[in-house]
Amino acid sequence: MNKLVLSFFALMFAVLMVNAQNRAISGIVTGQDDGQPLPGVSVRLKGTQTGVQSDASGKYSIQITGSNPVLVFSSIGFASKEVPVGSSTAINVTLAGDAAELGEIVVTANAIKREKRTLGYSAPTLNNQDLMQGQNSSVTNSLAGKIAGVNITTTSNTPGSSSRIVLRGGSSISGNNQALIVVDGVPIDNSSVIGGASSLESVDFGNRGNDINPDDVASVTVLKGPAAAALYGSRASNGALIITTKTGTKSAKTSITFSTSNAFSSVLKLPDFQNEYGQGYSAGTDDDGNTLYENDPKENWSWGAPFTGVVQPWGQEIDGVRQEKAYSAIKDNVKDFFKTGFSTTNNLSLSGGSEKSTFFLGINSLNSNQVMPGNKDTYNKYGVRFNGTTEFTNNFYAGVSVNYSKINSNQPAGGQASGSIYDNLLQTPRDIPITGLSDLSNKYNGYGISGTGADGLPRTGQYGYYGAYTVNPYYILDTYDNFNDVSRITGSFNIGYKPKSWLDIKERVGIDSYSERRREQSPKYTFLPADEAGNYSEDNPQTSNGSYQIAQFNVNEFVHDLMVTATHKFNEDFQGSLMIGNNIRQRYTSTVTTATNASGGLVVPGWYNLDNSNGPIDIVVDNISRRRLFGLYADLNLSYKNLLFLEATARNDWSSTLPVANKSFFYPSVSLSFLFSELLKESSVSNVLSYGKVRTSYAQVGNDTDPYQLLNTYSRGEINGSFGSTNFPFGNVAALMAGTTLGNADLKPEKTNSFEIGTELGFFKSRLSVDFSYYVNNSKNQILSIPISGASGYGFRVINAGEIQNKGVELSLRGTVLKAKDFSMELYGTYTKNNSEVISLLPGVSQLSLGGYSGMGIVAAVGHPYGEFYGVTNRTDEQGRTIVSATSGIPLTTTSAEYLGSYNPKYQASLGTNITYKNWSLNALFDTKHGGVFYSRTKDIMAFNGTSAETGGQRVGVIYPNSVIIVNGQSVVNTTVGYDKESYYPAYSDGQNIVDASYVKLRNMGLSYTFSKQQLQNSRLGALTVGVFGNNLFIWTPGENKYADPEVNSAGAGNAQGFDFTANPSVRNYGINLKVSF
Amino acid sequence: MRNQNIFSSKKLLLLLLVSTISFAGCKKYLDVNENPNNPPTAAPALLLPAVEASVAQIIGNSFQINGGVWAQYWTQNPAASQYRTYERYDVANTNYDRPWLTIYRNALINAELIIKSTEFSPYTKGMAYVLKAYTFQVATDAFGDIPLTDALQGIDNTSPKYATQELVYDSIFNYIDKGIVLLNSPIGPELGEQDMIFQGDRTKWNAFANTLKLRAYLRLSQVNPSKAQAGIAAIYRANPRFLTEDAAIQYSTTGGNQNPLFNEMVGLNRTQNIIASSTAVNQFNNNNDPRVSRFYNLVPVNGDTIVSSIRQGAYASTSLSLRVSPPSVLVGGTAADGRSAVAPVKLMSASESYFLQAEAVSRGWATGTATTLFTQGIRESFTAVGLTATDATAYITAAPDAQFPALPADQIRQIITQKYYAMCGFQGFEAWTEWRRTGYPNILVRSAASTLGAANQSLPLRMIYPNSEITTNMNFPGIIPITTPVWWDK
Repeated sequence: MNKLVLSFFALMFAVLMVNAQNRAISGIVTGQDDGQPLPGVSVRLKGTQTGVQSDASGKYSIQITGSNPVLVFSSIGFASKEVPVGSSTAINVTLAGDAAELGEIVVTANAIKREKRTLGYSAPTLNNQDLMQGQNSSVTNSLAGKIAGVNITTTSNTPGSSSRIVLRGGSSISGNNQALIVVDGVPIDNSSVIGGASSLESVDFGNRGNDINPDDVASVTVLKGPAAAALYGSRASNGALIITTKTGTKSAKTSITFSTSNAFSSVLKLPDFQNEYGQGYSAGTDDDGNTLYENDPKENWSWGAPFTGVVQPWGQEIDGVRQEKAYSAIKDNVKDFFKTGFSTTNNLSLSGGSEKSTFFLGINSLNSNQVMPGNKDTYNKYGVRFNGTTEFTNNFYAGVSVNYSKINSNQPAGGQASGSIYDNLLQTPRDIPITGLSDLSNKYNGYGISGTGADGLPRTGQYGYYGAYTVNPYYILDTYDNFNDVSRITGSFNIGYKPKSWLDIKERVGIDSYSERRREQSPKYTFLPADEAGNYSEDNPQTSNGSYQIAQFNVNEFVHDLMVTATHKFNEDFQGSLMIGNNIRQRYTSTVTTATNASGGLVVPGWYNLDNSNGPIDIVVDNISRRRLFGLYADLNLSYKNLLFLEATARNDWSSTLPVANKSFFYPSVSLSFLFSELLKESSVSNVLSYGKVRTSYAQVGNDTDPYQLLNTYSRGEINGSFGSTNFPFGNVAALMAGTTLGNADLKPEKTNSFEIGTELGFFKSRLSVDFSYYVNNSKNQILSIPISGASGYGFRVINAGEIQNKGVELSLRGTVLKAKDFSMELYGTYTKNNSEVISLLPGVSQLSLGGYSGMGIVAAVGHPYGEFYGVTNRTDEQGRTIVSATSGIPLTTTSAEYLGSYNPKYQASLGTNITYKNWSLNALFDTKHGGVFYSRTKDIMAFNGTSAETGGQRVGVIYPNSVIIVNGQSVVNTTVGYDKESYYPAYSDGQNIVDASYVKLRNMGLSYTFSKQQLQNSRLGALTVGVFGNNLFIWTPGENKYADPEVNSAGAGNAQGFDFTANPSVRNYGINLKVSF
Repeated sequence: MRNQNIFSSKKLLLLLLVSTISFAGCKKYLDVNENPNNPPTAAPALLLPAVEASVAQIIGNSFQINGGVWAQYWTQNPAASQYRTYERYDVANTNYDRPWLTIYRNALINAELIIKSTEFSPYTKGMAYVLKAYTFQVATDAFGDIPLTDALQGIDNTSPKYATQELVYDSIFNYIDKGIVLLNSPIGPELGEQDMIFQGDRTKWNAFANTLKLRAYLRLSQVNPSKAQAGIAAIYRANPRFLTEDAAIQYSTTGGNQNPLFNEMVGLNRTQNIIASSTAVNQFNNNNDPRVSRFYNLVPVNGDTIVSSIRQGAYASTSLSLRVSPPSVLVGGTAADGRSAVAPVKLMSASESYFLQAEAVSRGWATGTATTLFTQGIRESFTAVGLTATDATAYITAAPDAQFPALPADQIRQIITQKYYAMCGFQGFEAWTEWRRTGYPNILVRSAASTLGAANQSLPLRMIYPNSEITTNMNFPGIIPITTPVWWDK
C-alpha cells in the first residue's frame, strides 16, 4: 500500500513536470450567423483527451502540448472546426450554425461523448432550447413530436401526470416497454404505480421519471435501439433516454439565470353531449302507442322525455319546498364545471467555474393547481441540483451531480370509483345545472343537512342533492383526498484518473433513493334523503364507511461502473479505443400498504388515521424486493480517416433474478458508420450533397426478470367477492392459500436481436438534412406472466414465450426553407411507422391474454400486432352490416370474442417550424398518430346514461344504421324493425366502446423575443428573453371519437394502454415565460 | 521515475480489476432471489379454512344472489341497479369471472393441494375430498360441462378440456367415497377449530358426506333414474348417518369475517339491491306461513306492518315510493342492519337432509317413512329461523302445501316445494337448481324485465361460462345460452 501511495506522489510529480512544458491558448468562439459569443463549445486538443468548454461569453482557454497541435471546436448545432495552432497564442473562431449532423457531439451510453458521425446507429439529440419549446413540465412530454421513432403518451398533460415513452414499438409483452432514463450516466427509477383500488378507479400519481426538472437538462439523446444501449445492459433493451444536466463552464464568470413560466390550463377535449332529452326514463306506452316517461327526480339517467322548456319542479322537496327550473338542456353544464388551471414554474441557477473546476447550482419550483374547482388537484415540486467537476493537478479528476426533489400533490381519482369526479359529471342528466350545485351549504345540494321530516319531526344527517345514484361532484372534491409526498435524492459521484494521455480510468457510483408516501382518504357518511315522502326512499341512504389507506414506497437503487479506456493512434489514418468496464447494480424496494378495515371503514368521520380503523387494520401489501446484477463489458472503437467507424461491444451479465443455470448471459453488438461524403469532397457533387453517411448495426440484448418469479408461493387467506371479501385470520383461524401465479424454475433470459440500417444526408451545405432508419427488432424468449384458464387452479403463469417482431422506418427531415438577412424559416418533420407482429407464442398456442378490464381483453395473437383488443361486439354479416334481432331491432352480439384492433398507431408524424425575424422567434409543432383504437369507458358510461350525442335524435323505433335481419339464413336489409335506443345503449356489447384513436395535435406553439446585446448594453443583464407559449393546444379527432383525447389512459404509464376508463380529461397549457441572466 | 509510474498505474488497474472479478466470483452477492414475502409451502390444516371460506363465498354470496333472484325469493330493488342483468336474463360472461375464480382458484385448487400434500393428514384430506365433491357439484350444476380431470393441474395443463356433466357426477361420487375412507382412518391429527364447519368432528363430516352423496344421486333422478336408484341403495346399505344439523359457517361482526352477502353489500356502500319477490312471498302468505316474516323484514305500508314485495323483475314499473321488504338479518340480507353480519352460510341444512331422505323414500329408492321425514324437514326449517315446535305443528296441520299426499309423484312435488320454502334466503342456488330438476315449486314466472322477447316464456336454466375462459382457455367449448338446460335437466 505504501508503494502505491508513493507511486501516486511520483505520478503527480511527473505530471507537474510535463505541465511545466505546456502553454495556454485562449480566444473567443462566436457564431457565424449572428456574431454572438457561443457558450458551451467543446474545445479539444486533437488526439488527446484534453478539452475545455467556452464560457458564457464564448471565451475559452486551453493548455496545449505536443508538436503540431490542432484544436477541435465543436458544439451541438454547429459544424465542428479544426484549427492548427501554429505559433498563435490566441485563436478566435467562428462556427457555422445549422448542419445538425456535422461534428455534433452526442452523449451516448455510460455518459460517453461521441461525435455523431462516428455512430453506427440513430441517436437523435435535443438540446435544452428544443426541449423547452412548449414549456412542458415533463421531460418526456417535451419530446413528443420532436424525434422520429419515439412514441410519447402524455395522458392528462397536467404537471405531475403520467407520461409514457416507448421507442420503436413495444417489444415486451408484460414487462416494461419504456425506455430507460439515464441522468448523467446513472439510470433512474421511472416507476409508475397507479393509485386507487384498481385501474377501474385509478389515481394517477405520475411516473417518477417526470421528477426531472426540464430546465436542468442540457441535452437529451435518444438511443432508440438495443445497439445504442448495449452498454447499459438488460435494462436498456427498450432503448434509453440519455439526459445530461447542465454544468458550469471553466474559467467563466459566475452567471445567474432566472426563468419563470406561468401557464394557464383548460380541458382539451370533452365529449359531445345530446341536448334533446333530460332526466328520467321511459315507462311503457299509452293506449295509442306513444312512449310515456317517468320524470324521476333522483335519476342519473337522461333517458327521459324530450325537452319542453316548461318550468317544472326538480330534485328533493325539502321543508315542503321543491326547486323549479325549466326542463331544457344545459349544454355546457360539464364544461362549466371546470375552471382555468394555473401553474407557475421558477428556475434560478448559478453556474461558473475556475480554471480547473466547474459548478452548476439550480433551484426550481413548480406550483400547480389544475382544472378542478377549488384547490384539490394540486402539484407542488421543489428541487435543487448541484453539479460540479474539478480536475486535480495529479491527473485525477472528479465530478458530482446531485439532485434533491420534494413533491407534495393531491390528485383526484378517475375511473368508476365513488371518488371519481369525472364519472359523476358524465352521469349528470342534461338538464341539471352542475355549477349550481357548488354551494354545499345550500340544503338542496348539501350532505349532512338538517330539516323536518314528513312526520313533522326534526331530522339531521340528510342529503338534499338531487341524485340518489350519484354523488355531488363538489362534495367529492370537498371530502376525498389522494395525497402524495415524495422525497427523492439522485446523484452520481465519479472520480477518474488519467495516468497517461492514452489511458483513462473512471469510477462512477450512482444512487437513486426515494420515499413516496400516499394517503388516500374517502369520507364516512350515512345520509338519508331529505325528501323521504316523495320519490326518495329511506331504504336508500347514501352511505360510505369511509377509508384511509397509506401506501409507503421506498426505492433504493445503487449503481457502480468502473471503466478503463485506452486509446491508440496506430497511424495518421487509423485510430482506436478500447474500453472495458464493470457494472454492479442493486435495486431494493419496499412497499407497505395499510388501510383501515375494508369492511368496517372508519369509526369517527373525518379522522384519517389507522387508529381510527373500525375493525382490524388491513395489511394490503407488505412486500420487499431485492435484485442484483453484475456485468462486465467491453467497447471497441476503430476509425479509419474521417471515413469509416466501427464499434463493437460485448457484455456479460449475471442476474440474481434468473435460475442459477441461466443467470449468466452474454450479448454482443457491432455497428459501422461510413461517411461517404468524405470521398466526394473534391467533386462537384459536394455542392449539392454536402454530407452523407450510411450506418448499420446489429445488436443483441439480454434481459432478466423481476425477482421471485421462479417458484410458486402461498399467501394469506383472502377470498374476494365482487365487492366484499372473507379475510383471515378469521377469529382465531388462520389460513393460507395458493398464490395466483405459477412460477417457473427454468426461466431463460430474454433476448432481443436488432438490426438497423440508415443514412444521414445533408444537402446544400446542410441547409436540408435527412435522417432515415430502417430497423428490425426481434424479441425472443419473452418472460411473461400470462393469464391462464382459472380452471388450472391459478390465474397466471410465468413463461418464456414466443417472439415479437417490430420493424419500421423512421424519417426525419429538417430544412431551412427561407433565409434572408433578418429572417429565417426552418421546417422539420418526422415520420415513424412501426409494424409489430406476434411471430410465435408457445408451441400449439396461438393467443395469449395480456389483460384487460371489464369485458374487454387485450391479447397477443400470432399474426396480429402486439396488444390487440379482444371482446364481444355487435354481430355483422359478410358485408359488414350489423345483424339485428328480427323482433327488437337491437343488434345481436357475437357469441365469442373478436379481434377489434390494436392501440398501436399505424404511423406517427410531426411537422414543426422555427421562424426567426430579427429578435423574434416563432415555433409551432403539430403531431399526429394515425390508426389504432382505444377503449372508451367515457362512451360506455354516457351510452348507459343517455347523455352522449349518439343517444340523441329519434330514440324510439329507429332503424339501426346499415342493419340486416337474418331470414332463412340470408341477410335481408332491415327497413322495418326499429329499435329503442334506451333498450340498446345502456347494455350494448363492450366492442361498441372501441373508438378510433387517431388524432392530430397542435403540440407546441411559442413566440418569443430575445433582446440583443445592444439593447441590453446599459443594463446589468446578460440576456433577456420573453415569450408566450402553449402545449397540447388543440386536438382534431375523427368524427367517430366524440369522447376523449385518445392519449388519456387509466393505467397511466403502465402497460395496459388504450383504456380510457373515465380518466380525468387532458388539458392544454398556455402562458408566458421569461428568462433572464446576469 | 517514469517507468515506476507506469508500473504503478498498471498495478492500480490490476488491483481494481482483481477486486471486481473476485466480487463477481462471490456467488453470494447474487444469491438474493429467495422470496421474503410469501411462504413456499403450506400445511393442509392451514389450507382447509381457505377452501371452506371459498365455498361459503360462492354459495353464500354470488350464487346466493343469483340463485335467490332466479329462484324468485328476491328481486332487484327499483331504487338500485346492481343485479338488473339477472332479471333481464341477459347476464354477461364477465358476470361469472369472479365465481369461476372463486370455485377453481380459491376452493378447488386448495382442496387439491391438501389432497396432494405429502403431510400425514388423513382427516384434512377426507374433508378436502368432500369439499371438492361439493364444489364440483355446485360448479357443474351452474355451468354444465366443466373442466374436471384436466383441471387443477397447474403448470401441467393451463387450458383444461371440459368434461361432460355425466363424468363430473361420476367423479363427485368417487371423491365422496375417497373422502369417507379417509375420514374413517384410525389415526390422524385432529383439526379442531381450523375446520370452520364442524370443528373437526368426523362423525358430522361423515353425515355431511352421505347427505351430499344422496343429493348428488337424486340430481340424476330425471336423466338416469336407475343409476340414481342403485347409488342411493348403496348408500343405505352402509347404514348411513345423515345430517341432523346444518353444515354451515358462522360469521362475526368483525370486518372481513362477516357474512359474505352482507359484506358484499357493505362493499357496495350498503345499497339494498335485493328485496322481496312476490313469487315467493305470495306462496308463503297463501299458506299463512309464519316463516315469511323471518325471511324478510316487515315494513310499514298504508298503516300496516307487512312483508311487502313486488312482482319479479318489475323494477322498471314499480313506483319508487312503495316500501318493499328487504331480506332479513337472519339470512344476512338487510344492508342497513349490522346484525346481518352474523348470518350463517349453509352448505347444506338439516331440513334439506330430511327432504332429501323423504324424496328417496317417496321414490322407493330408500327405506324409511316419507311423511315423517317430510314433517321433520319442515320442523327443522321452523326451528332454524327461531320459530317453535308449536308454530311448526300448527303450520303442518293447516297449510295446504304442508299436506303429504298419497301418490309418490305428488309427494315429490310437496317435498320439493317445502324444501323451496325452507331454503328461502339461505340456499337460493340449490332451490333454483332443484326447480330446474323437478319443476317445483311450479310458481316461477317470467321476469318482467326479461329480454328474451315477449313471446318467450323461458327462464334461466344455467349460468353462462365466464369471459376469462373465453379469452384464456384454448379448449373453451363455446358459449351456451342461458336457456339451454344442463344434462341432468330432463
